[in-house]
Amino acid sequence: MADFEQATDEEVLLIDDELWEQLIELTDGAAALCFQCGVCTAICPWGLVRQKPLSVRTLMRQAQLGLQEKNGSLWLCTTCAQCEAYCPRGVNIVDVFRSLRTVAWENRNPEKGLPSLMWSIFWNDNPWSQPPTQRALWANNLDIPIFNPQEHEVMLYIGCTSSYDQRAQKIASALVHILRGAGVEFGFLGEEEPCCGEAVLSVGHKHYFEEVAAKTAQVFQERGVTQMVTISPHCYDVFRNHYPPFSNGFQPLHYTQYLFNLISEGRLQFMKPLDLQVTFQDPCYLGRINQEYQAPREILKSIPGVELVEMENSAEDALCCGGGGGRMWLETPIGERFSDLRVEQAVQTGADILAAACPFCVACLEDSLKVRKTENFEVRDIAEIAARAL
Amino acid sequence: MAELQIVVCVKVVPKPEEIRVDPETHLLERTNARSEINPPDMNAMEMALSMKDRYGGRISLLSMGPPFFEPNLRVALAMGADHIYLLSDPAFAGADTLATTYTLVQGIRKIGDVDVILCGEESSDGATGQVPPGLAEWLNIPQLTLLTDVSIDQTLRTARGRREIKGGYEILEVPLPCVISVKTACNEPRFMDYRLRSWALEKDRLTVWDAGDLDAEPGHIGLTGSPTIVTGLAEAPYRERRREFLQGSPGEVVQELAGILRKEVEV
Repeated sequence: MADFEQATDEEVLLIDDELWEQLIELTDGAAALCFQCGVCTAICPWGLVRQKPLSVRTLMRQAQLGLQEKNGSLWLCTTCAQCEAYCPRGVNIVDVFRSLRTVAWENRNPEKGLPSLMWSIFWNDNPWSQPPTQRALWANNLDIPIFNPQEHEVMLYIGCTSSYDQRAQKIASALVHILRGAGVEFGFLGEEEPCCGEAVLSVGHKHYFEEVAAKTAQVFQERGVTQMVTISPHCYDVFRNHYPPFSNGFQPLHYTQYLFNLISEGRLQFMKPLDLQVTFQDPCYLGRINQEYQAPREILKSIPGVELVEMENSAEDALCCGGGGGRMWLETPIGERFSDLRVEQAVQTGADILAAACPFCVACLEDSLKVRKTENFEVRDIAEIAARAL
Repeated sequence: MAELQIVVCVKVVPKPEEIRVDPETHLLERTNARSEINPPDMNAMEMALSMKDRYGGRISLLSMGPPFFEPNLRVALAMGADHIYLLSDPAFAGADTLATTYTLVQGIRKIGDVDVILCGEESSDGATGQVPPGLAEWLNIPQLTLLTDVSIDQTLRTARGRREIKGGYEILEVPLPCVISVKTACNEPRFMDYRLRSWALEKDRLTVWDAGDLDAEPGHIGLTGSPTIVTGLAEAPYRERRREFLQGSPGEVVQELAGILRKEVEV
């Protein structure tokens, strides 16, 4: 009897058949493959910063059974896909997490702060609660033409963060200078550039994402966009992997891929030696998720005087900056920021610069560097380094 | 016990940064401005929806404005409300808060048996904050303004609310029916419920009433019913930030800052 009473203190878990079926449908049965080995939990970077790691395995089990996640850990996931790189069954874990989030939205149980993120995109067409009319202010002095398919070989997709965030605007400006240096004919959509909706997708609002993607794809179609270059790997990923049902006829490239092509074709050359040791932060959405490890490294190597040194965790093992999966819009307490560890690893290499290729990485890493107060060490986007070498 | 009848007054406003002031006529130019739901009304919406979550009931959205308000009202509907009443008639144009509240009250009377009328604190374009008290005056019912939280006792038929005041808060209680204005940013408005998104776009979800439907006194509506006269309009001067950064140890920075403040603002 005592045992029974004790047992009743614990929450009774009820398996929800409807939820189970819904998850199977949303994920195409991805969770079913999981055999609960727990490698995902062991490799998840939250284990590096928290006593109690994010139990990826538990969430996978809940998804298998049709159980509601209730303790909020679902929203910790940065969708960095480190777990997927190690999963012996090749489970699409990020997809399962996104689907669990979709269910949480449907049950009106999203993480605090995320409804405001959705409203910002709905009213302002950007996740930063900034006026849509001010989207192209950053480019006022750059004289970038509005994209015209007859005149331009490529449409430069700036993205919301590089349009509004003052730090990331510098990345966009640097890229504009490089493209001009290489003689690339390009344009952008200026104030009319629509949000890609990656923030919506990554926090799992599947239905709103479909609405955003359809609208944005239509804008690209009307503007005759076929070749597109993005600044953020997040925009690149969403266009490449999640837009196909909504669009046909435009091919996205991350700017590092595009610049690497220009270098290979002999159109882009760096003349000014820089004499720098550089280490590189693989953005999750460029590296692990889209398997592009080479392009950013080749750009750095093609700059005279630049020596590339690798960090303890690089390429497939690269440590996430902490900004993916909607975490850019959620608070991460001091002491739990992956970027602190990453900056530490970067400083340990003895490099002069920690290079990144993503506005989120730059923001997170630079914040951590400011706290660490390291002198003679910088966080820069590859575009900024390359622009110095023109 | 009868179902709780909630009315939320919703205004569709131009995005503030997109309004231009005509330098010649000094009139507000909003034709090219994008519209949004008045942000404080979103907080009223959230309060109404959490009331419905707790007590059940029916939420009617009430708005006075031109037909172009409709798409945004349907957005609010998809948050979980039940019906939209749009009071639309060219005769309502040019209304100040007196004529607006009269017109809204005619709508509330026509909806009938309303227990709670919720409003945002003020509108982002007019910013008078006069509509909630105005409604209570026309209806001759109690009002609770600037609440951050509210509970309803359906047996005693009372509303009890919390209002932040300097140095603390006060708890206020009034009998139903009553008007409540909601403190801006006191809650996080939920996003649309996508299961309701297409339902909310159905034709029958919206009722349009004109001046005739409302039995409105011609002298109380629109420009005729508006005693307010705008005698002048001035643009606030734009303040240029100087972007000066002080260097030195924290002590030195404080010293220098104190010096600047003394000089510039004569503390």
